[in-house]
Amino acid sequence: MNGCGEREERIEPELTLGELDRDGALTEAIAETHGESRAEFLRKLALGSGALVGVLAAPPPAEAQVSEVAILNYGLGFEYLQSTFYTETERVGTVARMDERRATWARTLGAHERAHVAILRQVLGERAIKKPSFNFGGATETPNSFTRTAVAMEDLTVALLTGQTPRVRTPALLAAFFTLLTVEARHAAWARRIAGFQPVGAPLDQPKTLAQVDRAVASTGFVSTLLPRTTAAGRSPRFTG
Amino acid sequence: MTPRPKQRRRRIRAFVVAAAATGIAAAGVAALADSPAVAPSPPPPRADVDAQALPDPVAPAFTPPKPRSLRSDGVATWAPVRRTVPARLRPEVAAPVVATLMTKTPEETDNIVLVQGREADQDGRLWVKVRIPALPNNVTAWVERSALGGYTVVRTRLEIDVEAMTLTLYRAGRAIFEAPVGVGTAAWPTPKGDFYVRNKLTRFASPFYGPVAFGTSARSRVLTDWPGGGFVGIHGTNAPELLPGRVSHGCVRLRNDDIVRLAELMPVGTPVTIT
Repeated sequence: MNGCGEREERIEPELTLGELDRDGALTEAIAETHGESRAEFLRKLALGSGALVGVLAAPPPAEAQVSEVAILNYGLGFEYLQSTFYTETERVGTVARMDERRATWARTLGAHERAHVAILRQVLGERAIKKPSFNFGGATETPNSFTRTAVAMEDLTVALLTGQTPRVRTPALLAAFFTLLTVEARHAAWARRIAGFQPVGAPLDQPKTLAQVDRAVASTGFVSTLLPRTTAAGRSPRFTG
Repeated sequence: MTPRPKQRRRRIRAFVVAAAATGIAAAGVAALADSPAVAPSPPPPRADVDAQALPDPVAPAFTPPKPRSLRSDGVATWAPVRRTVPARLRPEVAAPVVATLMTKTPEETDNIVLVQGREADQDGRLWVKVRIPALPNNVTAWVERSALGGYTVVRTRLEIDVEAMTLTLYRAGRAIFEAPVGVGTAAWPTPKGDFYVRNKLTRFASPFYGPVAFGTSARSRVLTDWPGGGFVGIHGTNAPELLPGRVSHGCVRLRNDDIVRLAELMPVGTPVTIT
């Protein structure tokens, strides 16, 4: 037992967003925050209320033709997702409600992901994609839903980088990707440890294609196409004057 | 599994034999190389690697900056209302309804609420405490998280001093803009309390409101039958000579240059305090 009263070293099935349909762990975590059953939540997703969309709000580039800029931008999209997730969790006060061990983990990963966004934006310059709009739908608002989602997100990041790093041809860029990959792998192990899962799920990490990653992210509904429209042109005010 | 002592001895012996054989073979090759009758052959692969001969690591094309802790002071969060939802007195399904939140404002922009807190009920359902655009002013209520969209953060805060007839915009706790304003008359007072900016309207054909008008969550206690529900705005004017002064139906009026500047600095969702 650790300080949180949780059992450590539990061996759990692979918790990845990509395997959502198989073990439904993330869906359940999200559904729990809505007070809905998994079936009810999935039904609503199927009806479109989750606003399914890929991380870049566009189909991923064809696997065979992907350029280094496209890989960097896809990585940036994913870092936007992660950094916003950790930042929101801290801002809404969920981290403050965690024990010190868990809070340190959450704050550290948030700071790392924000640093990743900063450097990728700098490297890409004007070619950097804009930050999408996110709706985590409550996944950032309870320590349990946050932790479970973080495990899934970090595992998926490792699978993404494992799949894309070999595609990078420029040696210096390849070296930089390795520095990201190793840190994200340690993030994943740390998250698993915090959640009470075995830090390493399998003897070898399985890479995922961009299409697999995109489908996994889309299935969460975290990337929102419904941008709030709070400004209107040409519509007369009805205020008291 | 740890090998038993006998197995271990056998493995060590096999290793020593193999090493000796390798040495003998290497010596044989060297002897052959010394023979004038045999053509020279390339040197054998060395068992030990010269680490100095290996290249340096490739320098990464980029190194992330030093990670920084998050600063959350002076930050407010708002969310759009995604479905018509009852706002309740407590975070419970059976709690009394304070107001019903619609998805659109009277100006047809997306309705938003200012997020104040959160709590899970006994069934694990997540509720969010929000400031809502309803009478009586200053009211907060609880809505289900699932009725709201994603969160947006703002770092600005607006203070309006009715007595001094001034408006001050702060960002990250620092005053960045100040202007004289017109406020409500004694008959139609500007309501006091904590509110937020709900929308921003531009390019409308009404000189009375100037070039830009912000809608707020504040409502007139007097003009409740005003079209749209008597919401108080922050806008420009076609009578700048009246400012500062107690001249409005409750709205906060600015000179047009000032409202244009404010529109550049103040995002929708900014908390507003009227004292």
